[in-house]
Amino acid sequence: MSYQLSFLLDLVGAFFSIAVFYFLSRLLGKSVAPYLTSYGGDFFSFLLIGIAFSRYLYVGLNGFARSIRNEQLAGTLEAMITSPTSLSVIITFSSLWKFLFASLNILVYLLLGTFLFSVDLSKANILAAVIIVVLTTVAFSSLGIISASFIMVFKRGDPINWLVGNLSILLGGVYYPITILPQWLQKFSYLLPLTYSLRAARKALLQGYSIRGLSSDMMALLIFSALMIPVSLFIFKYAVRKAKIEGSLIHY
Amino acid sequence: MRKKGQFAAVNKVSIKVKQGEIFGILGPNGAGKTTFLKLLATLILPSSGKALVNGYDTVAQEKMVKSSLGVITSEKRSFYWRLSGTRNLKFFAGLYNLNSKQIQGKIEELAHLFNVRELLDARFGEYSSGTKQKIAIMRGLLHNPQILIMDEPTQSLDPSTIHSLHLIIKEKIVREQGKTVILATQRLEEAKELCHRIAIMDKGLIRFCGTITEFQRITGYNEVLTEPPSLEKIFIKFINSEESS
Repeated sequence: MSYQLSFLLDLVGAFFSIAVFYFLSRLLGKSVAPYLTSYGGDFFSFLLIGIAFSRYLYVGLNGFARSIRNEQLAGTLEAMITSPTSLSVIITFSSLWKFLFASLNILVYLLLGTFLFSVDLSKANILAAVIIVVLTTVAFSSLGIISASFIMVFKRGDPINWLVGNLSILLGGVYYPITILPQWLQKFSYLLPLTYSLRAARKALLQGYSIRGLSSDMMALLIFSALMIPVSLFIFKYAVRKAKIEGSLIHY
Repeated sequence: MRKKGQFAAVNKVSIKVKQGEIFGILGPNGAGKTTFLKLLATLILPSSGKALVNGYDTVAQEKMVKSSLGVITSEKRSFYWRLSGTRNLKFFAGLYNLNSKQIQGKIEELAHLFNVRELLDARFGEYSSGTKQKIAIMRGLLHNPQILIMDEPTQSLDPSTIHSLHLIIKEKIVREQGKTVILATQRLEEAKELCHRIAIMDKGLIRFCGTITEFQRITGYNEVLTEPPSLEKIFIKFINSEESS
């Protein structure tokens, strides 16, 4: 019962959140349209996709670390890691539900936006959007794994999550296009996977860009993942080893 | 050997445990018993030396070691309290790559062995301490390991539950199934009841290793072993006698 209620509250929360941004975009009206020409010109549609897809950033950054922390606090981590299943598999599957739930959340945002707030998704390229979701998940997961490594050793106060999370919201183009940022700041935006993920998602869903048309953003996410996944796994392995040497693997 | 800060939590420990044996690790708080068991369970890496479990190196062959071991603690928090006993057991069995048919069969077999069949559908949080500990031992046995590591498995249980668990460990798990048990305890009467051999640890060092009879002979504490023991007393006298000799 408590799970159903929690799900229902999430849905209602999504409605309220969308409604706030809808009225905010009405307040700003057409004045922001010139900044959004490459996304179709509608600020509310731009915001809706930014907010929805930034859920992946949140889950990617927090999901793995939270899974470890929850199991440490619950006391179940020891029983898990004495099994032959590797810790990385355990944590990946513990976080899987969170990613599925984030996907469901995005869907709810898009459906509410379409049916209650007249967002036009008639041109949406669904296949391209799905590919972007997958690439986004993998790219954000690498950051999440690094964050989890930190939790594994230091147990709390994760600076990776804090830094990447805040920078992404500021520079990743969730609430405004990065083109309004000063030129020098925009350079930092291009170091963040969220920038590519949001740009591609907006183009795919609002303007129906083809996979070929989105290939440069997809490639950026792919390169980011190809570089960061091995690095993050290496860091995670190092963190587990360090915790085992210190005997603090299951401490909380 | 395991160093913790400036001292070795487990130092110069050399023990061989035979197959089908119940081996007790005794010692006061902070003696290094749990650290020693965690080294065997691959939860802690040794800073030097090595441990073999079922012939497998705990560092180089971690996965094989884990498959050979069932780890049982008295930590009741190590379960999901909102889930039923069955769901908990199914979840943990899944981590040992058992298929659903094997899991079902094993849970039924163990539920019968531990006489908890009718309790398994209740939430874990609603169980008595004794039932929780039974479920913990069942979890350790799900993948049919050759060796069981038990860290104070009867801690804070009532005498009747302790007696029934002792019977299961001694008769069913060791005598009938031929498993090896390495058990850490602070209670000498538990060691006397269960263990073929014991090791006494203090400050990370093994002070004695042998049978209870040998321990009695060395310490001259026959009379204490037949009454509720004061391990601290025996231990302090034993350590003192070791130091003076």
